[in-house]
Amino acid sequence: MTGRRDVHHAIRIARAEVIRELRGATGDRRRVIGLLMVGLFYGSGLLFALPAVYALGQATGTVQSIPYLGGIATVAPVSMVVLSIFRTSQQIGTIDSEELVLLTVHPRAVVLGVIGAEVVQSMLWFGVPIGLIATAFALGIGAPTLPVTAGLVLLPLFCWATVWGYAGGIGMLRLFRWLPGLKQLLKIGWALALLPIIVGSQYIGTAIADRTFSIAGLLETLAFEPLQSYVELAFVGTELFHSPSIGAIGVLGGLVALTPVGLAVATRQATTFWFTDDPAPEQPQRTERSVGGFEAPQPFGSTSAGAIAWGHLVRAVRQPQEFAHLMIMLVMLGPAVAPIVQVDGNVGPIVAAIGVVVGTYLAGAAFGLNPLGDDRPAFPLLLLTEAGPRTLVWSRVIAGLAIGAPIAFLIPLGSIVAGTPALFAVGFAVVGCGMCLTAAMFAVGIGAVYPIYEEQEYWGTETVVPSTGIMMVYFWVVAGGTVIGLILTWVVLTGAGSLSLLIAAGVGVYLLLTALVPYGSYRYAIRRYRTYTLE
Amino acid sequence: MVSTNADAVAIEANDLQKTYGTETALDTVSFSIETGTVYGFLGPNGAGKTTTMRLLTGLTQPTSGTVRICGTAVDDRRAIASLVGYLPETPPVYEAFSAREQLEYVAELRDIPAGSATERIEQYLDRFDLADDADKRISTYSKGMKQKTAFIQSVLHDPDVLLLDEPTSGLDPRAARRIRESITELADAGTAVFLSTHILPVVEAVADAVGVLFDGRLVTEGTPEGVTSLAETGEDGTLEDAFLAVTSKEAATDR
Repeated sequence: MTGRRDVHHAIRIARAEVIRELRGATGDRRRVIGLLMVGLFYGSGLLFALPAVYALGQATGTVQSIPYLGGIATVAPVSMVVLSIFRTSQQIGTIDSEELVLLTVHPRAVVLGVIGAEVVQSMLWFGVPIGLIATAFALGIGAPTLPVTAGLVLLPLFCWATVWGYAGGIGMLRLFRWLPGLKQLLKIGWALALLPIIVGSQYIGTAIADRTFSIAGLLETLAFEPLQSYVELAFVGTELFHSPSIGAIGVLGGLVALTPVGLAVATRQATTFWFTDDPAPEQPQRTERSVGGFEAPQPFGSTSAGAIAWGHLVRAVRQPQEFAHLMIMLVMLGPAVAPIVQVDGNVGPIVAAIGVVVGTYLAGAAFGLNPLGDDRPAFPLLLLTEAGPRTLVWSRVIAGLAIGAPIAFLIPLGSIVAGTPALFAVGFAVVGCGMCLTAAMFAVGIGAVYPIYEEQEYWGTETVVPSTGIMMVYFWVVAGGTVIGLILTWVVLTGAGSLSLLIAAGVGVYLLLTALVPYGSYRYAIRRYRTYTLE
Repeated sequence: MVSTNADAVAIEANDLQKTYGTETALDTVSFSIETGTVYGFLGPNGAGKTTTMRLLTGLTQPTSGTVRICGTAVDDRRAIASLVGYLPETPPVYEAFSAREQLEYVAELRDIPAGSATERIEQYLDRFDLADDADKRISTYSKGMKQKTAFIQSVLHDPDVLLLDEPTSGLDPRAARRIRESITELADAGTAVFLSTHILPVVEAVADAVGVLFDGRLVTEGTPEGVTSLAETGEDGTLEDAFLAVTSKEAATDR
């Protein structure tokens, strides 16, 4: 009786969670456009892949001849469990409005409902492409029942992985509660590991291209025969399938038996987690104090904009989590760093160039990509002070320069020890400083185009993050512009190449755009701030 | 306030203690509240009021001590769900839902029959002036509208015990009065209302009994008039004067 009641409640919770997720994903025009873009990107890729999958189906004579089947059958469930652990520890392990839900239904119903919602949402997001691929393959081998049997085979596997992943994720949250230092350590470790991972991925790409490394070989090594046999059950009713192996039946029995066990473990874990507290109080153990009042040092203190910029910098040091969006730079920087390690000879100029690109990027990205969103909580104060919009916008430019310019200036100079000729190092440093100014002015304008006000979970921290689209546009424009500028600097300093009319015109257009676009962007930011002021 | 009638006891807390590491948030707090009583729970910020309320709902486990709601241990989650209604300080509502959807969802989870739920929801929406906005998403609501929606969902199942944490915070005078009237009506119908608030006139207006928590200890308890006179604030003393007297540093030193 209580079991049926819990299932009844779980269905309602799952339905509510799915509706909330869908409304959240399609809540405003920006998100709908984002979804359409993702759909177009992956949809077009899928359309091109489907004929190949169909041809593969036609060419398949036996189940064993399907490429990578064993490896995928082994790696996929492991990946599903890892993904589920990650999703649980980051998002679905804690429930919204817990005071309502936990005092209304039994925790088992909540766990079932949340996991049910996760399964349905995964099917909504991934079911369509997987279904299309299965259908194309089924048509290729002439077995129209394949999508149905594949679904029946995947469902127990997916439920098992989701349930145990949920139990594991809640277990991790409990561990983090007792060892909060471990959570911080993992966050920092992950951030630091990202760069080597990306650089490593460049190596692997090269190794695959020159055939010194084989993905097929790796997947074959990883293949676990009973899991492969289980996945082969999807071909029941086709000419490719003969009889189920004992291993396949064993895996099916294991999945069916272990899923309720996993559910019981997950419920127990979740109940303990939801109905107990952190062992330590939420307040920080050490009371942080500031002495001596707020006085901006020189040269910041000489102007209002400088003093406000100093305030931005102080807050940046005290609340570094507000700069989580800069982590994206690591992802973008990885492919650029890889050549340093791969190049045998002189790496100095590459280090100098990377220093300029990083400094330029930070000059705008640190404080400029969401100025209105970042300033909004303080607007009632800021806009009633003597400081006008120009001062407020300029303060963000100064704060950005304070971070970016030293990097763009000092790394090229420091790269002299790595072999950069002094003339080139100085040239890059000077150009870098100029680029920082243009990047900081450009950032405040495009950052004001689409302000983001709501906090969201980003890289494990709750913060207001600039729009992803704005961050991407900024990165490509600034990185592209900076690289062009550095190439021109290199050409000028080496004296290589002749200055044809066409090249001179191109350089002229580049310089004009580099000066006018940031200035126009800066003016736009001031105009946007003015819309909030009372004249 | 120790109840003399065991059958009529709605909330019974015995020697509740809650510690976080070396810090004591609640120190051997005991009280007993009868059905139909409005109990005003007062205390300065950080005194342990919210911790007490979470202990009374079972959302938090005490370090030691017990809580029983209508004779049921608070960790019997299946039984306790139908007995308790709780309105925390931050309204637990879903912004993606409309008020009607939110209340229908709660009614479904509470197993209230559909016909009866619809009727009750319409009555409450009408009473709290939410009927015209009932189909708008809660994300578009003001703080007061969210608070009213959350109050309705906490009483939708006619709980035996209602715990309210700052229920009139952010409400306009009309809505605040509606809440006060509802509290009185619920108590008249036999619900024990545990009311935590900083707005002392609300407590003076509706409470049958008052408890004052200070530094994790229940420093005084009784009728509003009794507490006022105990604090020796003079003939013209108010509950506010009494509150300030019993939560002063001097009072803490005397203890």
